[in-house]
Amino acid sequence: MTITGDPLTTTLLSTNVFRIAALASVGALTLTGCFSSGAADDTADRARVAMLQPPRSGLSQFSDDAFKLSRWSTAETLVTLDDLGDAEPALATAWNRVDDRTWSFDLRPDVRFHNGAPLDSAAVVTALTAATTAAPKPRILDGVELTVTATDDDTVEVSTADIDPLVPQRLSSPQLAILAPAAYSAGGSDPVGTGTGPFVLTAVNGTSSATLDRNENYWGEPAKLAGIDVDFVPDGTARAAALRNGTADVVEAIPVSQAANIDQSLVHEVPMPRTNTLYLNNSSGVFADPAMRAAARDSVDKDRLVEQVYEGRADAANGLLGPALPWAADRPARTETPAGDATGKKITLATFTDRAELPEVAVLLQQELEAKGFVVEQVVREYQFIETDALSGAFDAFILSRATVLDSGDPVAYMYSDFACEGSFNISQFCDPQVDAALADASATEPGDDRRAAILAAEKLILEKDAAVPMLHERVIQGESEGLTGVARDPRERTLITNQTAFE
Amino acid sequence: MRTTASRLVAVAGVVLLVGMLPWLSNRDPALSILRARSAEQEATPEALAAIRRDLGLDAGPLRMFWDWLTGIASGNPGTSWNTGKPVLPGALDALTVSLTLMGFAMLVAVATAALVVLPSVRAGLRGTPKRTGGGVAAALTSMPEFLLASVLVLVGAVWLSFPAYGWNGPEYAVLPALALGLPAGGLIGRLLADAIAVTFTEGWVITWTVAGFSRRQIAGAVLRRALPGLASQIGLIMVAMTGGAVAVEKVFAIPGLGRTTLGDAQSQDLPALQIDIILLLAVSAVLGITAELARRLLLGSALHEKAMPIPSGVFHPSPRRWVVPIAAASVLLIMVVAGLRRDGQATTREKFAAPSSAHPFGTDASGRDLLARVADGALRSIGLSLAVTFAALVVGVLLGLIPRASRGLVEVTNAAPPVVTGILIAAIWGPSAGGAAVAVLIVTWAPLAAHTAALVEETRARPYISVLPTLGAGNARILFGSIVPSVVPVVLRHAMIRLPGVALALAALGFLGLGPQPPTADWGLILSDGVAAVERAPWVTAAPLASLIALAVLAVSLAGATSGRVRKTGSVIEKVDAGGRST
Repeated sequence: MTITGDPLTTTLLSTNVFRIAALASVGALTLTGCFSSGAADDTADRARVAMLQPPRSGLSQFSDDAFKLSRWSTAETLVTLDDLGDAEPALATAWNRVDDRTWSFDLRPDVRFHNGAPLDSAAVVTALTAATTAAPKPRILDGVELTVTATDDDTVEVSTADIDPLVPQRLSSPQLAILAPAAYSAGGSDPVGTGTGPFVLTAVNGTSSATLDRNENYWGEPAKLAGIDVDFVPDGTARAAALRNGTADVVEAIPVSQAANIDQSLVHEVPMPRTNTLYLNNSSGVFADPAMRAAARDSVDKDRLVEQVYEGRADAANGLLGPALPWAADRPARTETPAGDATGKKITLATFTDRAELPEVAVLLQQELEAKGFVVEQVVREYQFIETDALSGAFDAFILSRATVLDSGDPVAYMYSDFACEGSFNISQFCDPQVDAALADASATEPGDDRRAAILAAEKLILEKDAAVPMLHERVIQGESEGLTGVARDPRERTLITNQTAFE
Repeated sequence: MRTTASRLVAVAGVVLLVGMLPWLSNRDPALSILRARSAEQEATPEALAAIRRDLGLDAGPLRMFWDWLTGIASGNPGTSWNTGKPVLPGALDALTVSLTLMGFAMLVAVATAALVVLPSVRAGLRGTPKRTGGGVAAALTSMPEFLLASVLVLVGAVWLSFPAYGWNGPEYAVLPALALGLPAGGLIGRLLADAIAVTFTEGWVITWTVAGFSRRQIAGAVLRRALPGLASQIGLIMVAMTGGAVAVEKVFAIPGLGRTTLGDAQSQDLPALQIDIILLLAVSAVLGITAELARRLLLGSALHEKAMPIPSGVFHPSPRRWVVPIAAASVLLIMVVAGLRRDGQATTREKFAAPSSAHPFGTDASGRDLLARVADGALRSIGLSLAVTFAALVVGVLLGLIPRASRGLVEVTNAAPPVVTGILIAAIWGPSAGGAAVAVLIVTWAPLAAHTAALVEETRARPYISVLPTLGAGNARILFGSIVPSVVPVVLRHAMIRLPGVALALAALGFLGLGPQPPTADWGLILSDGVAAVERAPWVTAAPLASLIALAVLAVSLAGATSGRVRKTGSVIEKVDAGGRST
């Protein structure tokens, strides 16, 4: 039906009432500030990035927003991590251990913040003290009492209440980035124009976009790109669509279901230090019985999950730690508990919707568990509305996609919180003195091969008790437009656009 | 004055309720703030205590509420618990964005509504008024916004190169306005077509025709006559699009008030949530008052002179009026019978298999047979949504009879996004299947009450009703004997057009643990699961969507066909209708 030429339609549309409605609509459109200010006019040599999560708390570094600041290369830390998780110099050029509880860091000379202030020991003390007194303090400092003092203009001393072999690794956390003193106020930090990195954050538009320009006075090699225009796009279909129609150059986290529709040369899989794990309630209900836990372990068909739900874009798990930590492949052999008869055993299987694949995993797992005789009831909610119940042991089994190395590159913290008696994220309600001892041992060991061996020994103990069933390790799918090079594909999700990123 | 008092009481109630949210729910506000800032940080007692101290949560709900009230009174709505920034500027920005989007969506809705009412106007001008456009309108209103938005992203952005997301200029508003405006236009069009059909049976139309007024003039006058009853509906729809566009805002990454409110409710960021809700309520009140003024202006002196024209209610029902409902019912019945014997729970390795003889509707992501699932979900989805719709109808009609007292409640329950209502319900009752029904009921009755109120007032102003007291009829008898019977059929048809929306809303609350839970087969759940694969496997969403449309068409056409029934009184054949006088 066409609108023009039809006298009746013309009548309807020209009636006063419709005219008023149309006027009201147009009136609404003329509101000042209807639209956000657009990106910079000169878009040549600027990368357009579509990110998954909008800023959580106004880009304060004491939230997950810190990872955005490091992914844009605007905020920098004293130390960075190499692929193996060992510390490398960044804003600190060198460090040494003064005594068991004290470390000394030499600051890089001639570094200036984007606002012109110099990077000196006073600035570092301000930044790190703001972090240690934040409410809550960054997760990398959970259970760590840390104090920072200036010894001279370009040296700071960091001391801890307990002996801590991981201090340099901890300081690599994006949440402990050093911003100019002007950035810090009560309750947070403001990264606009206060970083040290190759890109200057010039504007933040609420939860919708951010703009960065090249830092012409960068202490290292200046960025090849002129700038970055970031949009925050929570919907996977929309992000994938932008990559396909060429309106985005770099796209975070393309959902598995969308990846198949995209030119495969544009999508890149990055293994994640994330384990999709089936946590079993060890203290009450059906799974208090080790033979039932073994039956659950036996019923999981990992390869089918990888193939069907993840369409091959994941790795079946052999342990809690996956291919993002290559050394974990050398794990010792385990002896498995024999499975019992699960016929008629009633269990609740819970998971959450925030990761699109988990409900699908739950559907398949339910079938597999029922094939073993279990009687399964599913509970699926959004994470926020299920976390408390999961932690209190309300479910017999809980499917969780768990990050295994948080900020230090070291998995002991994760293993402790999930599987130690006192662990704060012990969904399995698991408590075993042997495991506690093994974790304490790993935690006290110096970084290096010995520590890695101790970690794998603890992992073996946990898995022999079937405290949880590791199912698969996810990969994140990153989209990059043709002609863009040097985009970081970082399993730890700390870097993305760097000074090396460029258009061919 | 009673209206103003009603508004004040309702607003105060909501503000108080929201203020108590963390204490009503068993979710620790310190934990939800921690989650809002940092998704995977361990919630150690130390971290939670630090947040509690920082926000002053230890003072308890009453003390905090009092502080907030005194803050508001002195013009300071406080700072966000989550970001530590003042809450007002951000909320105002979001409101501006939402109002702009709503303006664009209204353009789409008005154009859509015009096309939907066109057949009714034509029929009326031919002298054979009838209700038409039910099918198209039902199909439009059955479209879930999240599905429409995803399809528009694919069609508009990938194939037509519209921007897929963002809010940087008018071209960014095209796709979201379509996603919001098409269902709204279907709804407005359907209600308007119904009112227009009734208006065409009013005596003055024939007089005007005889007096030689042009078709154009008559059409304009009929439209003007039909609109007052719907002014409040249009106002409510505009408000709902301002706050309830959560799905569309999310897909297109628009920083609007719906998304903001949902985020603040999830993280229990009370100061921010309070200001979002207050802004939404303010918009609701402003639009409500405007709609009321527009209605009075359009009705003019006819209302207080008690001289509202009376529709004869004489329709020329088509002999084929049963064709559509019977066809729709047959489609549903055949589908259910064919599917019920199949297994809809067993997973297979055939992920997203296309429709074939083995799987007539194809399979979903887990390789389950869709025909079996849609059939299995039919009774559940239809039964529950019908029950909720009828409950909303009863509540809506009863409260619509006391319009001035219920006005505030109508505006308040209509203003907040349905998911926020769901969060409040989940907070008070905890996760339960019935919770979703209550939450959806709370947001569905309001438009029906407003519609009832408008119709009741017009009916009261008809000469034959206004003489009834003189004839000795009591108030209750007038109300329930003469007014209610003529109003209910119209509101029933209105309720039916909202039936698909109810079915979708029930499933949309699943993320809170309310309503149907997977792996239950439910149309809404199948639709929301299938939306991510809408391009690869369109059949996953096509089957439940087609069923939903068939249900909506059935409900709308059935309500239309039955309320136009022919009643025989001796030798006089009179066709009595809702808008008309019963004899």
